Amino acid sequence: MSSVLSVPKRIYKTLANLRTGIVLLILVVVFSALGTFILQRPATDPDKLAQAYSPTTLRWLDRLMLTDVFHAWWFMTLLTLLSLAIVLVSIDRFPNAWRFYARPYRKTDSHFRGALPNKVELPIRNADEGLNAAERALKKLGWSVERVADKNEPSLYCERHRFSVMAVYVIHASLLLIFCGGIIDGIFGYSGFMALQRGQQVNQIELRTGGKKQLPFSIKCYGAGQENYADGSPKKWWSSLAVVEAGKEIKTKEIVVNDPLVHEGLRFYQASFGPTGKLDGLKVLATPDGGTAREITVRMNEPFDLDANTNVTLAEYIPDFFIRDNQVFKRSDDPVNPAFRLQVKNKTTGEDAKLWLFPAYGETAQGQKTNYSFAYRDMQMGYFTGLEVSHEPGQWLVWAGCLLMGAGLFVAFYMVHMRLWIAAVPDAKGKLVLWIGGQANKNRDRFEQKFNDVVTTIQTELESASPTARPARKEEPELTLAGVK
Amino acid sequence: MEQPAATGGNALLVLVGLSVLFLLIVALLGAAKAGGSLLSESNLLYVALIFYAGAGALYMGFGVTGVARYVKFASTATAIGLVANTLAVAHRWYLSGRPPFASIYEMLLSFVWAVAALTLVAEKKFGVKIIGSITMPLAVVCVILMQLLPSEVRPLVPALQSTWLHVHVTLAMLSYATCALSCALAMMFLIQDELKTETFLAWTSAMVSAIYVGIVATRFEKWGGLSVTGWDAKNKADIFLGPGMRLFVTVPDLGWLFVLAAAGAIVPLVLYFVGRSKNDESFFGIANKAVFIGILVQIVVVAAFVLRVRDASYPSPDQDGLFPTSLAASPFLLGGMVTGIFASLLYLMLLWRRADLENMLPSADTLDQVTYKTICIAFPLLTGMIAAGAYWANRTWGSYWSWDPKETWAAITWLVYAGYLHMRITRGWRGRRAAYFAILGFGVVIFTFLGVTYLLPGLHAYA
Repeated sequence: MSSVLSVPKRIYKTLANLRTGIVLLILVVVFSALGTFILQRPATDPDKLAQAYSPTTLRWLDRLMLTDVFHAWWFMTLLTLLSLAIVLVSIDRFPNAWRFYARPYRKTDSHFRGALPNKVELPIRNADEGLNAAERALKKLGWSVERVADKNEPSLYCERHRFSVMAVYVIHASLLLIFCGGIIDGIFGYSGFMALQRGQQVNQIELRTGGKKQLPFSIKCYGAGQENYADGSPKKWWSSLAVVEAGKEIKTKEIVVNDPLVHEGLRFYQASFGPTGKLDGLKVLATPDGGTAREITVRMNEPFDLDANTNVTLAEYIPDFFIRDNQVFKRSDDPVNPAFRLQVKNKTTGEDAKLWLFPAYGETAQGQKTNYSFAYRDMQMGYFTGLEVSHEPGQWLVWAGCLLMGAGLFVAFYMVHMRLWIAAVPDAKGKLVLWIGGQANKNRDRFEQKFNDVVTTIQTELESASPTARPARKEEPELTLAGVK
Repeated sequence: MEQPAATGGNALLVLVGLSVLFLLIVALLGAAKAGGSLLSESNLLYVALIFYAGAGALYMGFGVTGVARYVKFASTATAIGLVANTLAVAHRWYLSGRPPFASIYEMLLSFVWAVAALTLVAEKKFGVKIIGSITMPLAVVCVILMQLLPSEVRPLVPALQSTWLHVHVTLAMLSYATCALSCALAMMFLIQDELKTETFLAWTSAMVSAIYVGIVATRFEKWGGLSVTGWDAKNKADIFLGPGMRLFVTVPDLGWLFVLAAAGAIVPLVLYFVGRSKNDESFFGIANKAVFIGILVQIVVVAAFVLRVRDASYPSPDQDGLFPTSLAASPFLLGGMVTGIFASLLYLMLLWRRADLENMLPSADTLDQVTYKTICIAFPLLTGMIAAGAYWANRTWGSYWSWDPKETWAAITWLVYAGYLHMRITRGWRGRRAAYFAILGFGVVIFTFLGVTYLLPGLHAYA
């Protein structure tokens, strides 16, 4: 037989097989587990890898792509085959399920009635009376009842939550949606890094995969910082950012960890924060002759207007200085013994005055005479903020898939497809009875209780319909409970 | 196997009651001496530990004597323990102003709570009265672990300051606890399904062997030493040589005891296989005696471990000088050893009181159904946990999926349970195979919960 099948058909047959799916699933599990035990290249630095494995082992691991399992082509192939298997198994099974869904089995035959686990027979005088009573009882219990027209054998049919039989397709579809999102992100998505300092404006990112990418807009940083708890552990990292497009600022946001800036599908996350090792600003107390002092922050090569006539600039910064021959020299780059040179300019005369600040040797600035005096207050080191940038156009599919899966799982596990059939038929002895049968596709013990409720209600309804005809019946209905558990 | 006669059995009740009382009084005196609030979290947790242990002792007492009344008292003890546990959670929540979800200690606190609560639910709702004989030892192991883990309330680091933390961890703890319950139910099913007692012997010995062989394989040093992590008492942290590199010290001669314990667990396993291949039941009798001796060895090993590792200093092969150790530096070694003892004791209980256990349990079919139902609850919770984690990761790390070990293992757990559901629904797997699958599933859960955090490096470093 199999030799008759064409190759594509045979591939289809193999993939549309639950067993193939399970084997693929096991393979995915095994290789993902391997990928967590073997150090992975993207997450580990090369030194650590070299330390952990001998060169030969490492070469083989690399050759087999076991040092980057989750981006290896064969792992991707496995995932693709798994999703293909899900699709094909679903397609293979769908027609039957759809038939079951679209054309419910409304009318029973004697064979079906015999095989059903939950069934009861109640004696009745005539078919109409019995069915009417049953219909009233079921409506009382909130079932919507359908009358199945048949001249010889009138019957009722009702059901609940028929859609729950399709939930399994919804779940598998949602899984595919998530995979699709992942694939879209794998192809069109990218992620990278961007480091910014206060005042800086950048329009390109360094890609994770290497190389750079130009953005159609740029990101400007107005400041970044860290806040600490009392015990010194970090409490908050923040960056105040703006999106600048064609020279215009179109959006501003202060981002923190857990709250990124989103613009045109790109997300900017607070990822790292650290010192640049450079001076950002110098806080000094500026006192005009005979005037009141005020605290100002001067920055490198940015003139600060003290009054209409005078401005001051931080012209030079030496982290660690020494003096020889009346000259200031640099000893090291550690900001342990800093020196600052201020330049005070008189705009009308054009005169430049040079002043030095040596905080370690007294806080007042010394040097050429100006109409201001300066006192050291604080130096502010520059910080950079590291932004993780990512573009994930497929993520909405992923979230949609997650929501859909939640809904699907809820329906599949907690909504039970229940069916009831009621027919007026002769029993084994030829007497007319109201036959009641029911079936549920899961949670059968709960359904049994529900079924018994239905039977009791119908019984009461029957008795109230013709109290004279049927005094208290001695004969209990035969409740068949086999196969319930 | 001869069974000790079922006595009237007030003795054990009195004994357990007295020891609970004694421990409570000692704790009370200790707390009074130390000052501070009596209803502090650590005191409450200690009370919970005492009652969980009392419940465990009573379940085991039932196992040894077969007095059905013990089970009722055990259930009461579980309930009291749960109340104390709830108060401990509430106190911590009140103090820190946030739910206790931010460290492995806090997650264990929530996990134990969920396990105890679900135990009572399973008892009352599903009528599985002695489910606690498996879940209570689990709770005790977790609380012992918690006594050793760093428990200070720490402020939340920036990445954890998110509502999604609460969603993610709540779902995780609920699903893990439900998985624990399904595993316990599956074991109960195996008892009711007339799985041979010697098969339990084989599994128990295999598990204990795995624990000790694992310890010996990774920690046995030259000349019979055992290496444990060094402990920096001042900072209450492991000693690190470099980032991610802990300093190990060698406790001389302790390694041999572990080899002995491993042998004590392997011997019954070997005897089992010999008995099976020769079809000779008498080997199983010897194996049972070997298990008994194995338990004694394990107890000696734990005692020696506790005595020698607690507050002592030993040399390290990596660096000159003596370095202090503490039990707090090796919580998982100790946890594994205690688990081994409990597993062996549970086996003895089964060996001696199987008939009584079977009388206490619902039918195999019911247990099979209930196991399936608990997994039907655990699986959507697990799905929600992963989805919430992915959404949160997307807000924090910039990517919803980065194949971090914790993520990967969560996905593996999910796939294992998905496999279970497929086999059950489409292939009609019932009974034994499904039960083994459920137990395997919980093994994976435990690895995801604790194993990944301590064995594998990754981003998910908080817990």
